[in-house]
Amino acid sequence: MQSFQDLTFALSSFWAERGCVLQQPYDLEVGAGTMHPDTFLRVLGPEPWRVAYVQPSRRPADARFGDNPFRLGKHYQMQVILKPSPHEIQSMYVDSLQAMGIDLAVHDLRFEEDNWEAPTLGASGVGWQVMLDGMEITQFTYFQQAGGLEMKPVSVELTYGLERLTMFLGLSRNVYDVEWLEDGLHYGEVRHQDEVESSKYYFEVADVAFLEEQFEGLEREARRCLEAGIVLPAYECALRCSHTFNVLDARGAVSVTERVALIKRVRDLAVACAEAYVTGRESLGFPLLAGDASAEPGGEESDAQG
Amino acid sequence: MPKGELLLEVRCEEIPARMLRPAIAELESSIADGLGARDLVPTKIEGTFTPRRLVLVVRGLPAREPDRRERQIGPPAAVAFDGDGNPTPAALGFAQRCGVDASALERIETEKGEYVSVEVESRGRSTVEVLSELLPSALVGLTWAKTMRWGEGVGPWVRPIHGIVALFEEEVVPFELFGVTTGNTTSGHPVLSPKSFQVKAVSDYRSKLRRRKVEMNFESRRNRLAAEMSDRAQALGAQVVEDVELLDKLASICEIPGVVQGAFDEQFLDLPREVLIASLRDHQSALTVELQGRLLPVFLTVMDRGDDPKGLVQAGNEWVVEARLADARFFYEEDRKQQLVEASRRLDTLTFHVKLGSYAEKSARIRQLAQFLCGELGWKKRAGGAEIAAGLLKADLTTEMVKEFTSLQGVVGGIYAREDGADEGVWQAVYDQYLPASTSDRIPRSEVGIVCGIADRIDTLVGIFGLGLRPTGSRDPFGLRRAAQGLVRIVLEAGLSIDLDMLAARAVLLYGDRLELSGDEVLGDLRPFLEDRVRHLLGLQGFLYDEIEAALAVGFADLPDLGARVEALHSMRDDEGFLAVVLAAKRIANILRDAPEHLFSEDLLKEEAEKALWTASRQLKAEVEQAEADGAYRDCLRSIADFADVLERFFAEVLVMDENRDLRGNRIAMLQSIQRTLSRTARLTEVVVDRALVRQGA
Repeated sequence: MQSFQDLTFALSSFWAERGCVLQQPYDLEVGAGTMHPDTFLRVLGPEPWRVAYVQPSRRPADARFGDNPFRLGKHYQMQVILKPSPHEIQSMYVDSLQAMGIDLAVHDLRFEEDNWEAPTLGASGVGWQVMLDGMEITQFTYFQQAGGLEMKPVSVELTYGLERLTMFLGLSRNVYDVEWLEDGLHYGEVRHQDEVESSKYYFEVADVAFLEEQFEGLEREARRCLEAGIVLPAYECALRCSHTFNVLDARGAVSVTERVALIKRVRDLAVACAEAYVTGRESLGFPLLAGDASAEPGGEESDAQG
Repeated sequence: MPKGELLLEVRCEEIPARMLRPAIAELESSIADGLGARDLVPTKIEGTFTPRRLVLVVRGLPAREPDRRERQIGPPAAVAFDGDGNPTPAALGFAQRCGVDASALERIETEKGEYVSVEVESRGRSTVEVLSELLPSALVGLTWAKTMRWGEGVGPWVRPIHGIVALFEEEVVPFELFGVTTGNTTSGHPVLSPKSFQVKAVSDYRSKLRRRKVEMNFESRRNRLAAEMSDRAQALGAQVVEDVELLDKLASICEIPGVVQGAFDEQFLDLPREVLIASLRDHQSALTVELQGRLLPVFLTVMDRGDDPKGLVQAGNEWVVEARLADARFFYEEDRKQQLVEASRRLDTLTFHVKLGSYAEKSARIRQLAQFLCGELGWKKRAGGAEIAAGLLKADLTTEMVKEFTSLQGVVGGIYAREDGADEGVWQAVYDQYLPASTSDRIPRSEVGIVCGIADRIDTLVGIFGLGLRPTGSRDPFGLRRAAQGLVRIVLEAGLSIDLDMLAARAVLLYGDRLELSGDEVLGDLRPFLEDRVRHLLGLQGFLYDEIEAALAVGFADLPDLGARVEALHSMRDDEGFLAVVLAAKRIANILRDAPEHLFSEDLLKEEAEKALWTASRQLKAEVEQAEADGAYRDCLRSIADFADVLERFFAEVLVMDENRDLRGNRIAMLQSIQRTLSRTARLTEVVVDRALVRQGA
């Protein structure tokens, strides 16, 4: 049976071979791979882009002190963005399953309607949850809107839940029993302590007053960055606001009405960042358009960032 | 009979199950309309679908449009001919455009003056040409619940398109849709038989697809699924718990209908039946199996393939079901750590509407309305139960189970209340509170449930209307139509004589100063809204529009009474005498239009016919009053029908508008009195009469 890291390798190489920049996880706490600027910002505007990366994704409310065999406060997503969405994307996706060793001659694969929405990002898309033998293994989304802006061209996002995929392929009943590497350490040996301690923080230790202050401070900081015309630092502050909100929520410190208001404040930041990003890229002449249609997307720009 | 056959297949990425049936129905009718408008009337149009294909077969199509002669109008005659009567360049240009010689032009008179004109014969276009215009516009014009764009911004349509087969008599109908060109190739099941292949016509299309693991016909897939599932259940000596909606969905998410049968641990059978069924249905699209009313630890669902060679599909589904049921058990155990009454104490943190306050406040209002209703209905013995039920009614909104399975709201509260030892009337009231949600649902079982169901709905209606947020067009975010429909149905079916206006006024008071409209405004808006629901409901019961209007015009306050009046009207509908009286009533209404009230004196009766009418009308009045008092509306209308002869004679022999002012006034006064008598059960003038059905002379 495939180990957790074999699966990650297989998917990474598969998408790297198809012209994706193999990016690294974003070095901030995020709730999903979508929030990585290489998704959220790069899908905006006319420039082509292909990227793949693993993103550790934090969902404080789902943390369970390492006791629940299915739920985690942090899980790993394999995130793939192809912009514009290729005509053959569905068959490419099917090939990616085969690259993971899934023999579709003996499995049942279905695409069931699932329209995705991320209120904190002003983002939404149309697509499916991909079901393998009745299990959701991938979120398959054509982005229609991000940061409140319409998409043209349209990006397709594939999000594979790596723990669930590995568990499911081995029909394992406990995530902590999954082999991280073949005949070696298990998921629990690598991550269990992290889950226990994070849960304790989210549910018991986190200082509500401090987090509330931090939220306000980060929001102000984001605005200052936007005024200074630096988009990425502003967006990072917005991401940290979002995570701070999630911790407050898990801590039970957010009432129903506050909830709506806080989500709106994060979304306003994300929308402002999105608009500033597009304006900035436009003033640079949308460098990745480059007029050379044959160039593999995602070349020179990522070097420049290194 | 023309034999032309069209095959259309649009192959695309998976279309959501819920959108398929409406889309194919719309496509059928728009193609039928489009062909009809071009005088190409087929013998049959048949649509079907798989999740990846919309398929349309049109049979019996002529090969061409009929030829037409059409008159073309050119420039005004004054411009078309010079002083010598010779054609000008304007006339020559027009003639050329019409493909005729200038000598063929005629002068015709129009509303705008004299113009040149010519009758042009146009040859009908070939059907292929017509279709190449009609098909793409019908496909682009389909209305989808949600559309998308893809690639460089192509769309909007429901999902990206991958191929279009459009063949008329084996000839490709040429057109392009979202960058995809029509042809005669398609492909089979994308995983099991992805190679493309050519088709000639409907007959080989269907059989070739079958060989390639696709059953194109939705009905066939559904019937096969139903039969196979029923066989599986019978093999266990059991039967499938029926769920028509889910079966339709399953047949819409596969191209080949394979049944997956799985088992789960028997320990989960301890969960409430409703929870098990909802968990399997909502999360796994799976049906359950029961034996003598008890569920078995077995589920049935679909796979998009014919077999499960290594048992992996079954194993995978069982793995997911096990995890889902473990979740359900977790929610159940969390919820059951406390009684439902404790859960109800958290309702103050749950917002009903920002401007209308929390669910705790809503519960308090429901409690008061329920007490008021018990008083009005004389259900004193139910007051205690209603008090308890109203307090528990919304408590399950705070439970983990309802957060997970919103479709189980009410049901979960009912089950928990039953487990907590509540009286039958009380737990049933909680359980049934959202009934009826659809036309096939029953109304709440217990009297306590009826009272709570009415109180909850009137509170919601008054609150939202009070903010000026009444539904407009298809927008009804608060589900007010359903609430009003449920309210009206409960009152009608339970036969409750309560004045809804008065109830609404009570509900307005309970909101204090939270509403933005005045009580009169709320009632003024709500009344026609409720009347519309009554119309709709009575219409569903088979009553005709005019019967409903006639009965509504007399009174709305007492719904069961209204129902009885409509029913009486309906039963007398075809009675000749009755229809004659209806016509006479219309005539009386015309005569009396704008007439002031006149005084009547028996001494002024002169003609025999009017004396007879007066005597008969007094007798009728007595009979009608008695029948009304007894609620015997059919008797009432029967008496009215028997009045036809004497009325007829009056109109034949007596002139109402006599020259003598006194006689005229007296006759008007008599007719005014008769009009009041006739209109007690229903406003007869609303009844539409087909004169052909009425005997002569009326």
